[in-house]
Amino acid sequence: MADRHSLTPGEIVIMAAGGAMLVFSFLHFYGDRSAWGSHLFPIATLLPIYGVVMALQIALTKFGGVELPGSVVGFTWEQVQLAIGAMAGLMAIGWLLTDTGDKQIGQWFEILGGIALLVGAVLLQRERNTGAIG
Amino acid sequence: MNQLKLSTANLVILIAGAVMLIASFLDFTKAKATVTFGDITIHVSTGGGNAWSSGRFLVATIPALLGIVMAAHVAVDAFASGVKPPEKVLGLDWNQIHLVLGLQATIMMLAFLIQSTSPLDKGIGLFLMLLAAIALLVAAVLRMQEPASGSAPPVV
Repeated sequence: MADRHSLTPGEIVIMAAGGAMLVFSFLHFYGDRSAWGSHLFPIATLLPIYGVVMALQIALTKFGGVELPGSVVGFTWEQVQLAIGAMAGLMAIGWLLTDTGDKQIGQWFEILGGIALLVGAVLLQRERNTGAIG
Repeated sequence: MNQLKLSTANLVILIAGAVMLIASFLDFTKAKATVTFGDITIHVSTGGGNAWSSGRFLVATIPALLGIVMAAHVAVDAFASGVKPPEKVLGLDWNQIHLVLGLQATIMMLAFLIQSTSPLDKGIGLFLMLLAAIALLVAAVLRMQEPASGSAPPVV
């Protein structure tokens, strides 16, 4: 029997990306400013926030024993993950193509994390057989 | 005569999408300058670039693109009788997609509103884009409460 606490690859990707994005959001994003710094907050902070929300939803349901409602405003949780993941991926591409001068380590990890969130959300659809992908 | 099937929500999305596109070309920020000639002081405001300017494209352009996608879907659905968009995309129906895009556009524009632009002031383009984004979100919520697409009472 599968351990209900065991994580699927999609869930691991989302949790790892969310955690990494939170940590790297405090490192230099642009110049000597982090994503929480003046002139960048909150537009650059949205990506790590999205990552934390997605990772928290997985963590709470897998390890916290939290019973979340089956759907939110007509969206299943898999659809919520896919929607937030898609918007995170879009913002990641946005930052990738935006000329911010020299991109610092924090910005690179936010970009990679945003794309990882999208990949994780897509994997989640396959793992849970939602029929959304393929 | 073909009667156009545009519900209130779809009409708002069309208008807000157009406003969003136009506003994205207006000043996102504006620069202030004070010029003094003897006893006369003149306050001058100059453009600080729009949402498509270098340094802002693509991040500041995303809300405009989301509005364009929403308006384009409504326009195709209403006016292009030969084109039938898929019922669902990635498992989401179009009402859900409109809600996600409208919410994302609003969140991003609120973030730009809160973000410090000092020493520049926020421009008319930013404020109009914010208003258009809120209109898109409200229309997306209205759209979810309407009867199935095509049966909503047409206003146009």
